[in-house]
Amino acid sequence: MIEVTALTKRFGKHTAVDDLSFTVTPGRVTGFLGPNGSGKSTTMRCMVGLDHADNGSVLFSGRPYRALRRPIHEVGLLLDAGFVHPARSGRNHLRWLAASNGIPRARVEEVLGLVGLSDVGGRRVKNYSLGMKQRLGLAAALLGDPATVILDEPANGLDPEGIRWIRDMLRFLASEGRAVLVSSHQLSEMSLMAQDLVVIGRGHLIDQCTVDEFVRRNTTTRVRVRSPQVGEIARQVRAAGASVEYVGDSAVSDTVIVSGMAIVEIGELAAEAGAVLHELAELVESLEDAFLSVTAADQEYRSGGAS
Amino acid sequence: MIDVIRSEWIKVRTVRTHWVLVIIAVIFPTVVASLVGVFIPEPETGSANDIISLISGVAVFSVLLLASLWAINLTSEYSHNTIRVTYAAIPSRWKVLFAKAVVGTVATAIVMSVAFWVAFASGTQILSARGADMSLPDDHDLIGVYLALVGLAVIVSWFSLGLGAIIRNSPATVVVVLLWPLLLENLVTLALSLAGVDSVGKWMPYQQAIAAVSDVPDGGDVLGRPAAHLYFGAVALGLVVVGTVLDRRRDA
Repeated sequence: MIEVTALTKRFGKHTAVDDLSFTVTPGRVTGFLGPNGSGKSTTMRCMVGLDHADNGSVLFSGRPYRALRRPIHEVGLLLDAGFVHPARSGRNHLRWLAASNGIPRARVEEVLGLVGLSDVGGRRVKNYSLGMKQRLGLAAALLGDPATVILDEPANGLDPEGIRWIRDMLRFLASEGRAVLVSSHQLSEMSLMAQDLVVIGRGHLIDQCTVDEFVRRNTTTRVRVRSPQVGEIARQVRAAGASVEYVGDSAVSDTVIVSGMAIVEIGELAAEAGAVLHELAELVESLEDAFLSVTAADQEYRSGGAS
Repeated sequence: MIDVIRSEWIKVRTVRTHWVLVIIAVIFPTVVASLVGVFIPEPETGSANDIISLISGVAVFSVLLLASLWAINLTSEYSHNTIRVTYAAIPSRWKVLFAKAVVGTVATAIVMSVAFWVAFASGTQILSARGADMSLPDDHDLIGVYLALVGLAVIVSWFSLGLGAIIRNSPATVVVVLLWPLLLENLVTLALSLAGVDSVGKWMPYQQAIAAVSDVPDGGDVLGRPAAHLYFGAVALGLVVVGTVLDRRRDA
């Protein structure tokens, strides 16, 4: 269990993390979302005392990070896969880390096997691909068999097989009762990986809820209706208070997009009007749609138009 | 604390560059002592004191190499960001710097001991084979020079650690560690003497400690062996304390 309360971090006049509070519960994967520069990485560094917070507290199972005698046993951390000395082998990187917290060498071999790096553990890290470094970082995070796992962009640089592997791994870790906090820019992946979400923008909390709830709250239900009698259906739907948008020229189109009315109600309205339906389909909006809609005002860096 | 020291020892021994520096530090005085033994004209006039005197000067190069090693050992953690992994694993940052100092002290003492005795043995054996009398004369200072050299190397390892914790940048730290005795202290001495302040060279800690390796002073501008090492040791430990305090306050 992680409890973040009123966390604030300033760099000079810039407030990177602003009175941020959220919780990460055991047994669930919690996604940590925010646009670039929103303070995710700073928050993670403050959580483990690498950056000094100006205000607020972070508790791991009721204790601050600095109070953990052997923190690797309690909190597994992957902040950046590149935080490794390139001239050292992956195995030796894990060995010094294990030694620092009194973890036996045999565990190093276990986690190397777990992440699939046993055969290349003796190779120097400068010869690793980004995906291999991510796996090494995950091995380091799992070294102490911790109850809490914090991962910053763990899927970066992984191939599709690697992304599936890390998704399954995180779900497995959560299924064992661990609290897993993971940040990622890959929103489609996050929707498959996480059950809960913490969404931040410009350092402050925007929302904390389940993924399904977040999508539901922040998108509009839309239904695609195709019918030879689409005009009649459109009239009925408008009369019921929903909005209708024709696909193409309204004079000739047989298709509309209905917003603000459930698919079941539209079907019933069509039946009452005696209209034939060729298509009645809910347009499911994605986590990405919800995220972009919620964080539109908090995007620090915005791209120009594609035209 | 033992776990942290073990961890730091693994870090030191698992980077090839460190071994390269150690090997050069060990070999260099031996090579010089051997070459002098082989090529010195009239070898029969040589004595063990000549070899001791030679090593006391040449081995300062080994001291500076080891100083670079300890500077790089710490500052590369900042350049590769492994310091964040380290401090996440050991939140009490002073323990990390203390463990680095312990590992640096022990390893430096061992390496300098090997460098000194191998160089002495090779130099004296070669000269002895060429007909010189290599028995130790009554006025020899073999143990004194050895202890002063090891002491200097250990203190310089602390000096490098302290500067590394303050500067956090490998090239800058190595340059300062190397140029401090060669340039900085000379400039300060020159500037003060131009301003009319004499005998200030006596208070340049790094140069005094280097001079104390070979010199047994009888006053003048030299502090003397124990005093010079104590003085430089205090300065080096002061830097370590300042570095530790700054490191604790700054973000990793």
